[in-house]
Amino acid sequence: MIEYNESERRMVLKLVYYGPALSGKTTNLLQLHEQLTRQGRGELMVLDTSGDRTIYFDLLPFFLTAPSGLKIKVKAYTVPGQVCHDATRKAVLQRADGVAFIADSNPDEAQSNFASFDNLERNLSLVGQDIELLPLVIQFNKRDLPNAISEQELRNTWEPTGIPLQMASAISGIGVTETFAALAGLVYRRVDARFALAATHGLSCDDFVRQLTCMRDDAAEGEP
Amino acid sequence: MSSGDGLVFVVGEEKSLRELLLDSDVLPLLQGLIALGAGSAGIADQDGEELWGAAGPGARGEILAELPLYLEGEQVARLKISGEAERRERLKACAGLLKIALDTVIRNNLKRVLTTEIHTSVVNSSHEALVQINADLTLSEARYRELAANLETRVKERTAELRRAHTHILQQEKMAAIGQLAAGVAHEINNPLGFITSNLHTLQKYVARFCAMLQFYRDHLNLDLPIETVSAEGERKWRELKLPQVMADVADLLSQSLTGAERVTRIVADLKGFSHVDEAQDMPVDLNEELERTLGVLSHALSGRAEVIKELQPLPRITCNPQLPGQIFLNLVQNALTHAAGETRIVLGSIFDGERIRISVADNGPGVPAESRGQIFEPFYTTLPVGSGTGMGLAVVYEAVLKLGGTVTVADAPGGGADFIITIPIVKGEG
Repeated sequence: MIEYNESERRMVLKLVYYGPALSGKTTNLLQLHEQLTRQGRGELMVLDTSGDRTIYFDLLPFFLTAPSGLKIKVKAYTVPGQVCHDATRKAVLQRADGVAFIADSNPDEAQSNFASFDNLERNLSLVGQDIELLPLVIQFNKRDLPNAISEQELRNTWEPTGIPLQMASAISGIGVTETFAALAGLVYRRVDARFALAATHGLSCDDFVRQLTCMRDDAAEGEP
Repeated sequence: MSSGDGLVFVVGEEKSLRELLLDSDVLPLLQGLIALGAGSAGIADQDGEELWGAAGPGARGEILAELPLYLEGEQVARLKISGEAERRERLKACAGLLKIALDTVIRNNLKRVLTTEIHTSVVNSSHEALVQINADLTLSEARYRELAANLETRVKERTAELRRAHTHILQQEKMAAIGQLAAGVAHEINNPLGFITSNLHTLQKYVARFCAMLQFYRDHLNLDLPIETVSAEGERKWRELKLPQVMADVADLLSQSLTGAERVTRIVADLKGFSHVDEAQDMPVDLNEELERTLGVLSHALSGRAEVIKELQPLPRITCNPQLPGQIFLNLVQNALTHAAGETRIVLGSIFDGERIRISVADNGPGVPAESRGQIFEPFYTTLPVGSGTGMGLAVVYEAVLKLGGTVTVADAPGGGADFIITIPIVKGEG
């Protein structure tokens, strides 16, 4: 579903943070916004919320230019996790190029995780996507919870699926950039396979990921 | 955009600055800067083309500030302010302020556009889903309606079919009963017919002798012989022809034959009366008479095989199809004969208590066990071995009693056996 306009030399990639309600999707974007350099990173758009709950979506845009001059915009969206907003989730999932599934490490939420993953699978097929082909990473958030399900158990459950697992504590910023980087890497490989980013545009996977995940330390303000 | 599934609203599609900002958003801000003393203020895209601009009345002066404008992290335009050099510091500060104001407007407009897009998308997809659900429901409702309508028709068809089959079977049963009856009656008629024929043969021979005697006298009288001779010859011939014995026998033969013929006449009359072949119309009927008639046509089956005890009291006539009582009694008596073992005794009783007629047909057979009493009047229910009974006899009784407006039940007869009791209410003014 990669949006590519050859005449304008522009490409837009859409990454979607999916997952059950209150698993920390918005917190992931807030932390990315916090941690990453402003160079090439847009403002975080938090659309109207109802209390603390996302009812539409959040959007964190990134912008980078390949050595060839190809402009690449990467937009990271969250979906509302609450079951009742399924139509919104479907709309946001439309034409996604990659999905980060943010799961809750609280054992009480195990059922919600499975239900939401099921929902992701169904909605993907409804918008004409195949979960087997779509770049997908799973982040188990809230590792700081005292009763969090053990990492070993999670790996036993999920590793057979072949989906990369990330452990995170988004509230303190741990694992957030790593998750984003892992997803960006997977998306790069898919785009590269189709549009030869490395060969034609001189943009390697490392460069792509590094530019997206430049930490604030080496930040230069966005003056050209 | 549209796809095979109808309209698809893509959320977050790329927007240009022109799409996001209205003249009314931008121009007042630029004009504000002119009012503050700038020579010109404008926004140009990345190719240097001016998107919005405002200029003061005097000279433009030099470019004092050029600030980038970002949309979703991508630089999309430049804000250019020109004016007199001595106002540089002040105008630069104003330009900075203007950029912040523009960033805010861009961000807010983008948010508004995104909110509208997602809202529209959700509303449309929800509406489409509802329309689809509605269409599905309408379709399913139509299907159920059709099913329900058809079901009623189907049930009616099947009921009519069953009723036809039932009537047909009852008719067959009646025919079978009549067939059995015919066989019995044929035997009854054959018997007298046999000796009548035999008597006629004998009489034929006797008549020949009478003729011979008469011829003898006629011949001798013509010969003009003396009367004595004729008398003596005649006496000799009389003995030769054994006419004294013949004369004695003739009276017996004739009276026997007449009795036989009368018996046949009575049997035919009984049968005719029983079957009421000439009378299909409702008419006043005395049930006792019908009972007697039934016994008459069954006499071949009863005589010597069963003892029939009649305890009949006078009954008012009821108006009905005269064939019905015969069907009832014939089947009940045959039922009693079929099931009774050893010395069969059938007790027939009739009584009228002023409101209803009660007729009972009791036998000394094994009786009907309580658990079967609900079933014996059902078609095809039989306790006889397969092939022996049609299981329709009592069903015919039930049907016929129903047509008389009565009921039929079975009870235990005193001293064992089954007692079939028919109760027919008499409407006042009838009978």
